[in-house]
Amino acid sequence: MTLAVKAAGVHKRLGSTHALAGVSLDLGDGITGLLGPNGAGKTTLMRVLATVLAPDSGSVRLLGHDPADREARPVIRRRLGYMPQEPGFHQRFTAFEFVDYVAILKEMTARRERHDEVRRVLDLVGLGDVAQQRIKALSGGMRRRVALAQALLGDPRLVILDEPTAGLDPEQRLRFRELISRLAQDRSVLISTHQTEDVAALCHHVVVLRDGETVFAGAPRELAEVARDRVWLADERSAGAELSWLTGDGRHRHVGNAPPAHAELVEPTLEDGYLLLVGRGSLAVAA
Amino acid sequence: MSPHVQSELLAAYAGGEIEGARAYSIEAHVVECADCQAAVARLVEPARMQRGWADIEDRLDTPRPAAIEAALGRLGVPGHLARLLAATPSLSVSWLGAVTVALAFAVIAAHESERGLLLFLCVAALLPLAGVAAAFGRGLDPVFEIAVAAPFSSVRLLLLRTAAVLPTTIALAGIAALTLPGVGWTAAAWLLPSLGLTVMSLALATYVAPSRAFGGVTAGWLAIVVFSAIDAGDRLAAFDSGAQVAFVVLALGGGIVLALRQDHLDLGRTL
Repeated sequence: MTLAVKAAGVHKRLGSTHALAGVSLDLGDGITGLLGPNGAGKTTLMRVLATVLAPDSGSVRLLGHDPADREARPVIRRRLGYMPQEPGFHQRFTAFEFVDYVAILKEMTARRERHDEVRRVLDLVGLGDVAQQRIKALSGGMRRRVALAQALLGDPRLVILDEPTAGLDPEQRLRFRELISRLAQDRSVLISTHQTEDVAALCHHVVVLRDGETVFAGAPRELAEVARDRVWLADERSAGAELSWLTGDGRHRHVGNAPPAHAELVEPTLEDGYLLLVGRGSLAVAA
Repeated sequence: MSPHVQSELLAAYAGGEIEGARAYSIEAHVVECADCQAAVARLVEPARMQRGWADIEDRLDTPRPAAIEAALGRLGVPGHLARLLAATPSLSVSWLGAVTVALAFAVIAAHESERGLLLFLCVAALLPLAGVAAAFGRGLDPVFEIAVAAPFSSVRLLLLRTAAVLPTTIALAGIAALTLPGVGWTAAAWLLPSLGLTVMSLALATYVAPSRAFGGVTAGWLAIVVFSAIDAGDRLAAFDSGAQVAFVVLALGGGIVLALRQDHLDLGRTL
């Protein structure tokens, strides 16, 4: 079966920054979570995979085609849904008009069929009732759902969502997870996020980027296994831990190689594995 | 109540074969007669009925188009293209209003002195360029990134919007030029520079980011205007006949470069 994404040795410079420094990635069907601290290259990678940016070097194949090929590019784009990190809107458009506008850009020229499709995706994200409201009158969470609706136009085979849960409240995030898990059958969905809970709850695969390079690719439980035998609970703070914080029950959770005195070894989580991979240095940059 | 419609006639009516006054007359009876309504319901294919309902639903659900979109529709622009053009920032009422105000100030200045006339020519030449720059770009089109990732070619969208913005802005500048005091053809000396600068900027945008291309061309040309005025001792030296020919050549050259390198815009190499 053709992989939705097959990227090898992708480099991209943005000004003086080496945003992608040899990223390799294979994505099949299912939901893949892309994790990484700020500045790790997540958004740049998303843009390259969404055919918005061309890589400087390396090979990218999307849905079996090369996006650098002028003939193949529209073929890819017809089967691609993309929600950017900061989706912009023409504020004077209603939700319906905005999604209709994107549907036209997706070459849906027949008016009736296009409008049926716009209604379908707005209903899918639960915005059928506010379709005629202007975008500027919608809440931040609703706007993100409008942006998600446009990414689902035309039933795309590859869906790329850059931080789709940013700014959503817990209930909206749950609804989003429910929707994406339903959509992910028979298609490839790539989600970038800062939320390790989203990845643990939703994703079949996880990729971790650090400084423009892939440092992990595998199943979520495998990411947790990275921290096996390296997570402890103790009453005292340990100076030797990679990371250490006081938990709600008054004990310190330590992640790293050096166990503190009288520490109790605990089951690692996906977040522990992620923290170990990106390390204190990257998190300090992110902060 | 009038007698029922004959079954053959009703079948022809239900099949959409009767038009005009005859159809109205049958319809007037059918809306009042339950028996004939039932007969029509039996005669109309469910699929046709479904399409009819969907059409009605679509018309009720679809919002009224904005003024600019409706105006484009009246000019014969297909609905889907009218919507793409209606989203152009430099076709908005506020943008066109700002262009009108800028031109009005430039006209007032041109009435005052030759320096004012130079100001008018520069403003009139650069406004179409600014309109095209604002029509498509990361900073100005809020849906830019989604648009690039869509199969509708970015170059086609850019050219489509350019084709709408240029005549609109040039028409406003042309009307303003008509009000200038007795300067003859000089009143139109901004037109070819405007076209040349716009095409050149679009061509340059296949090498560098569009904002840099438009900004660089504007700054470079204004420097030429100032230096040529000082050098030749003639404030309008950058608009003389030699410059007009040069802009025609630049427009043609820029057009060729744009045609050859359009793929660089579509794949976001410079965007």
